[in-house]
Amino acid sequence: MSDRTASRLTRILAMLPWVIDNPGADVDEVCERFGYTRKELIRDLDLVFVCGLPGYGPGDLMVAYVEEDQVIVDTADYFAKAPRLTAAEGLALLASGMTVMATGQGTDVLASAIDKLGRALVPEGYEILTVDVSAEHDLGGRLRDAAAEGRVVEIVYTTLSRGDTTTRLIEPWSVFTSLGNWYVSGYCRRSEGERVFRLDRIKQIRETDERFTPPETPPEPEVRYTPSEEDVTALIELSPQAFWVSDYYPVEIVSDTPELRTVRFSAYDAGVAAQLLVRLGAAARLVEGDEVRAATEDLRSRLLQRYGG
Amino acid sequence: MRNVLERILNLLAFLLTANRAVSAEEIRHTVAGYDRENDQAFQRMFSRDKDMLRRLGIPLETTTAGGLEIEYGYKIDPDSYRLPETDLSDQERAALWFAAQVVRIGGQPTGADAILKLGGSQLESGLEPFAADLGSEVDVLADLYTACAEHRYTTFLYNGTARRVAPHGLGHRRGHWYLVGVTDRGTRVFRVDRIEHLDVEQRDGFERDLDVDVRRELDTQPWEAGTEEPVIARVRFLPEIAWWAERRLGREPVERIQGDDGSLEVAIEVTNRSAFIGWVLGFADQAEVTGPPELRAAVVDHIRGVA
Repeated sequence: MSDRTASRLTRILAMLPWVIDNPGADVDEVCERFGYTRKELIRDLDLVFVCGLPGYGPGDLMVAYVEEDQVIVDTADYFAKAPRLTAAEGLALLASGMTVMATGQGTDVLASAIDKLGRALVPEGYEILTVDVSAEHDLGGRLRDAAAEGRVVEIVYTTLSRGDTTTRLIEPWSVFTSLGNWYVSGYCRRSEGERVFRLDRIKQIRETDERFTPPETPPEPEVRYTPSEEDVTALIELSPQAFWVSDYYPVEIVSDTPELRTVRFSAYDAGVAAQLLVRLGAAARLVEGDEVRAATEDLRSRLLQRYGG
Repeated sequence: MRNVLERILNLLAFLLTANRAVSAEEIRHTVAGYDRENDQAFQRMFSRDKDMLRRLGIPLETTTAGGLEIEYGYKIDPDSYRLPETDLSDQERAALWFAAQVVRIGGQPTGADAILKLGGSQLESGLEPFAADLGSEVDVLADLYTACAEHRYTTFLYNGTARRVAPHGLGHRRGHWYLVGVTDRGTRVFRVDRIEHLDVEQRDGFERDLDVDVRRELDTQPWEAGTEEPVIARVRFLPEIAWWAERRLGREPVERIQGDDGSLEVAIEVTNRSAFIGWVLGFADQAEVTGPPELRAAVVDHIRGVA
C-alpha cells in the first residue's frame, strides 16, 4: 500500500511541473513521458483538482483537467518544480550511467547527461563517485552485437584451473557483469548445453556467418553457481585472513567463529578448489574431499617442479 | 488510498507555502483530511504522512521548542524541496533511463522515480541483452554518498573495530563498493559491505583534503596495497596465459620482456608481498616468480604450506 502511495505521489509531483512548463501539453505525450494510461492520468488529475490550500474554496484548490486532448493545470505554483532526488536515487542514476560508460557502451549523450546531473547534484564536484567495471571493452561489445544479431561465435577459451585452451562455437544470449567479472551466457555447442564464460578468459573471438534462433525467453543471466550432482565438493577450514573466500566464491558456510570458518566448496572441476587451496597456503586447510586433495597435491608438485624443488 | 493522497498533497501544499514552522496542532486544524480524527488517530496518521514525505526525498525539517527534545514545529524550505536545474535534454534523459534499466544495485533495477522527477522519458522497458549488477545495499551507499557530498564524519564498526572516518569518496571496483576516507592514521579504503552500524554525524563537518584522489586510492593493485619496503619482483608468464596476465597487470610494469615463444616476463614494484604471492599463484603453474631469490623462496614456502 505505501509503495503504491509513494509511486503515485512521485508521479503526480513530477508530472505537474512538466505540464506547468509545457502549457497545452497533449494527453498522449504526458502519458508516454510519465508512463500513464489515459485513465490513470485522468484519475490523478481529478485527485489534484480537489487539493490545494486551506480554505479549500474554488480559489484555493488547484485546477487540473483534460480538455480537447490537452492537459490543463493552473493555480498550482507551489508544485511548479519537481521534488529533488533522494540520495539513493541520485547515486543509483549516476552510478548506472558511469557503469555503462565504463563498459565502453556509453554515448556522448550519456556522458553529457552524467556531467549535467552530477554537477546539479554535487555542485562542488561529483568525482566523489567513481565506477569502474573493467569490462573487456572490445570483446564485450562484439559479443553483445552477436547476441543481438543472433550470430554464432567461435571463441578461444582458457580454463585456467586445467591450463587448457579450447575452441568452441557458442550461441551468445547475453553479456553481463556480476561480482566483478564479466560473463557471456549462451548455448555451447561443444558441451551441448547452456554455459557461462568469463570474458577475461576468452582469448579471441571470431564471428561466423551462421545464425541461430535465440530462446524466446533466455534464462536470467546468473553466475551464482548452483551445485549439481556431478560436482566435486570439499570441506575447507579458513583462518581469518582467508575469510574473503566466502565473499568471492559461491561457498556454503558450514560453521563460523571469529577464528575459524568452515565452508563447503563445490565446483565442476577439482582444479578450481586446488588452485584456491594452494593460493591460500597456510591460511586454509582441506578437511574433506579426496578428489580435491589429489588435485591439490598434483598442482603443488607441478609448482614445486617449476621452482626446481 | 485516495484520502491519503489528498491529505498528503494538501499537507505538502500547506507546508511549501507557510514560510514558517507550523505546529502539529495547527496542521491538524488547518489542513483538510486531519480535522475529524481523535488525538491518537491524528498522531498515527500524521506520523505516517511525515514518513511518506521523507521517503519521497522531501526535506521536512522539525524545530524543537525551548531546548526540549520534543518536536514542535514543521517546515519545508521551498528551495531545498526543488530539484536543482539540470538542463537535461530529452535524449540525455533517455540515455540515463537506458543506463538505469540495464544496471542493478543490490539486485533491484533503479531509477524510474528519479527519471520521472527529472522530467520523464519514454518509459517502456525492453529486454536488454546486457546487464550489470553493482551489488550492495543501496541505502548504506546512499548514506555514505550523502556524507561524502556534505563532508560529514561517519562512525562505524569495521571488522569489529570502531572507526571514525572523514569520507572522501565512493567507488565500485572488481565487484565491490569501497569507501575512501581519511582517518587519524591516514587515508584508508573500506569495503562497504563490511561496514556495520553506520552513523553519520549531524554536527560540524570536516574540511575536505584536496590531496586525496579517490580514483588513485582505488586503482591500486593488490601487490601495491601495503606499506612494506618496496621490492622489484620479476615474474614470467607462460605463453598459454601471457595474454591474460597482460590484461590483468592493469598498468605498464617497470620492465617487460616479450619472449620469442610468446611468454612474457615483467618486473613490478611490490609493497605487499603476501598479496603478490597470492596473485601469482592464481595463475597456477603457468606463472613463475624468477626473482629476487628471497621472494622466490617465500613463494616456495607458501606452496609447501609453511607460510
